[in-house]
Amino acid sequence: MNDAKKARKATAALLCSSFLLLSACGGGGSQAASGQPYDENSKATISWLNILHTASPPTDTVLNKIEEKTNADIQFSWIPDASKEERINTALASDSLADVVTLTMLDNSSVRNSLKSGLFWEVDPYLDDYPNLAKISEDTRRSASIDGKLYGVPFQKDLARNGVTIRKDWLDKLGLETPKTTEELMEVARAFTEDDPDGNGKNDTTGFVDRSDLIYGAFKTLSSYFGTPNVWEVSEDGKMTPEFMTEPYIQTMDYMKNLYDNGYINQDFAVTAKTDQQQKFAQGRAGIYVGAIFDSKNLLNMAKGIQDDMELVLVNNITSTGNEADRAIWAANNGIGGLLAFPRSEVKDEAELKRVLKFVNDLMDEETYALMTYGIEGTHYKLDDQGAATILDSDLWQQEVQPFAASRPKESGYDIHDSDPLKQESDKLIAENADYAVLNPAYSLESETYNTQGSELQKMITDATYKYILGEIDRSGFDTAVENWKNSGGAAIISEYEAAYKEIQSQ
Amino acid sequence: MAKPVNVSDASLLKLDRQAVRKRPFGIRKHILLYLMILPGFLYFVVFKYFPMGGLVIAFQDYQPYQGILGSPWVGFKHFVRLFTEPTFFMLLRNTLVLFALNIVVFFPLPIILALMLNEVRHRFFKNSIQTIVYIPHFMSWVIIVSISYVFLTVDGGVLNELLASMGLPKISFLTSPEWVRTVYIGQIIWKELGWSTIIYLAAITVVDTQLYEAADMDGASRLRKTWHVTLPAIRPVIITLLILQIGSTLDLGFEHMYLLLNSLNREVAEIFDTYIYTAGLKNGQLSYSTTVGLFKGVVGLVLVILSNRLAKKLGEDGVY
Repeated sequence: MNDAKKARKATAALLCSSFLLLSACGGGGSQAASGQPYDENSKATISWLNILHTASPPTDTVLNKIEEKTNADIQFSWIPDASKEERINTALASDSLADVVTLTMLDNSSVRNSLKSGLFWEVDPYLDDYPNLAKISEDTRRSASIDGKLYGVPFQKDLARNGVTIRKDWLDKLGLETPKTTEELMEVARAFTEDDPDGNGKNDTTGFVDRSDLIYGAFKTLSSYFGTPNVWEVSEDGKMTPEFMTEPYIQTMDYMKNLYDNGYINQDFAVTAKTDQQQKFAQGRAGIYVGAIFDSKNLLNMAKGIQDDMELVLVNNITSTGNEADRAIWAANNGIGGLLAFPRSEVKDEAELKRVLKFVNDLMDEETYALMTYGIEGTHYKLDDQGAATILDSDLWQQEVQPFAASRPKESGYDIHDSDPLKQESDKLIAENADYAVLNPAYSLESETYNTQGSELQKMITDATYKYILGEIDRSGFDTAVENWKNSGGAAIISEYEAAYKEIQSQ
Repeated sequence: MAKPVNVSDASLLKLDRQAVRKRPFGIRKHILLYLMILPGFLYFVVFKYFPMGGLVIAFQDYQPYQGILGSPWVGFKHFVRLFTEPTFFMLLRNTLVLFALNIVVFFPLPIILALMLNEVRHRFFKNSIQTIVYIPHFMSWVIIVSISYVFLTVDGGVLNELLASMGLPKISFLTSPEWVRTVYIGQIIWKELGWSTIIYLAAITVVDTQLYEAADMDGASRLRKTWHVTLPAIRPVIITLLILQIGSTLDLGFEHMYLLLNSLNREVAEIFDTYIYTAGLKNGQLSYSTTVGLFKGVVGLVLVILSNRLAKKLGEDGVY
């Protein structure tokens, strides 16, 4: 009798402990603010599933100020940028979201599908009620829409941010002009490789330094200089052609192949990571960096103490012909940095949605922008009488402020600006780029085949492009890869896009 | 018929049998024992068996927001796609080749090392070797692949600089399809060799020393003793580990391969694990990648059953 009692007690204890274990695993996910309706001006608790572009999340110093300004208690869940596909997809699949979700990959099929399925609030009808949100242009709203519906507040980024950064001190030393054509750029690359620009008597420099990224690395930007369309090209009569079936794409591959064969580019660029690439540039092992123009400031910072002579010149007007009229630069995602989306499972009703939208609106205020860009005045930056901000301690800024920068819903159009000449220059060039931006005509079009197999197919082309540049296949080998692409589903993508394009045109 | 010496013993036995007959598992009688295994049992049910239910999405067009109940059933659509896509044979070939290399090249090495260490008489020397070779096991693949990158890259990599200084041409270890398998196996050997040796060393220590003495009396040399005494003594351990190894056939280590994979070596380096990751998690094709995973699991299961049968035929115990 006594034994049985004991046993029963033991069972209960064991069961309890195992349930505890289970519930501990189940919790931690979503704890939406409970059902009470939101008052527009009340203090809100907002959870935010956000993308982190820096090595570590920010400390609370600036966050507290932002919370004060937006009258909200913000709870971040950070996802490192490198694993965003995986993490966002699993979050969507398991419905463990937050009040605000940063979706940066609108071309990812599962993100698209979940947007279309109505998992998130449609915000278009509400935007005009808020002063900052109302200012989002019709163009931006349309580009960020899927099937004509806007499922979140679009991030407003600069249209085209890429260009070429060159070591000015090396150019001067070798008596070279800043290049205006791809041919001149090749000559600079040759001179940087062969003419000992750092004057140490050793053959230890290359022209370009690139990384294993055909898009945000050198390739895509160079391809714009040759006149390649941005991902897709659409003709007058509605025929769609992928970029890699155009002649300029082949010319770009030949150009890269030339760089590679002559040793004007780091020979391991196909396996180089971004940080290694920037390190190599900062260490003075190469003199040409193609990527986002604003990376130049970072490069100069990294070179402090290693290459103190480094001077940089930023170039955004290179063409293959030398004609101003041929200037072009691709626009990443047509200038849409993604969406701030609000899942229905977390933001339960309209009142709650309105409060969250108010929060996003407040994030776009000048003061909040300054907080997320430069930090706290006096602590992180000082302001001169022209409204130019100077960062006081760049280490502190990197730790406490920089992580917020990528979460700004809007990045330009504010009075406050950077006093750093290089940053000002890059801002100017990026603004200039907008006039020459090449958009992707298929960006907001739908293709079922692309949604399911698109990135598998893209891999075939990416692989073939690398192989062509490294000389493992020739033109006929590349053409075979393109044929393969067509036969494995590429042809279907083309016809689906053409149909979708036609439908939009006829509306 | 032998009479029981003690009557009460016999009646106890009888009672016990009755209990067994009434309740096949004797739950009431052994309740405490059952309670002790309960947490482990629950662990397997909750974390290993319950999630297996999710495999049904291989037969659906699974959409997360519609759930398993709401998603449309599509039968064998994803299997057809898997078996008809040219990628399938590439994946299968790459996976099997790497698996074979694993068994042929890597598997015997720890045994050889264990036998060699066993022959070392200098205690301090033996212990330090043992410690030094198993330390790499605790490093993550990210570290190991990064170290190899520094050694092998063509742009200032240590090994390539060495080749160049000897007047030999540089080799692009990281981007050429011919080298990726060598690099892969080399890294596995470097990381896991010492760790796998431990089990064999443990098995060797329990070998009956009388056998060695007897062999000594017969005038056997060291090599003979190793061959005829040590090796047969650890044979069951070797067989068991081999079966376990085969069971994880297609688990070649996602993390490791994913880090080595690039556009230029994909044709030999893409394996099921990396494919599932890119197609499934990054691309959101949950149903299709479940199909690939299911196929991989089935192949692994079949291989385990076959090798276990084979082990039993050879007169060993097998793993079950």
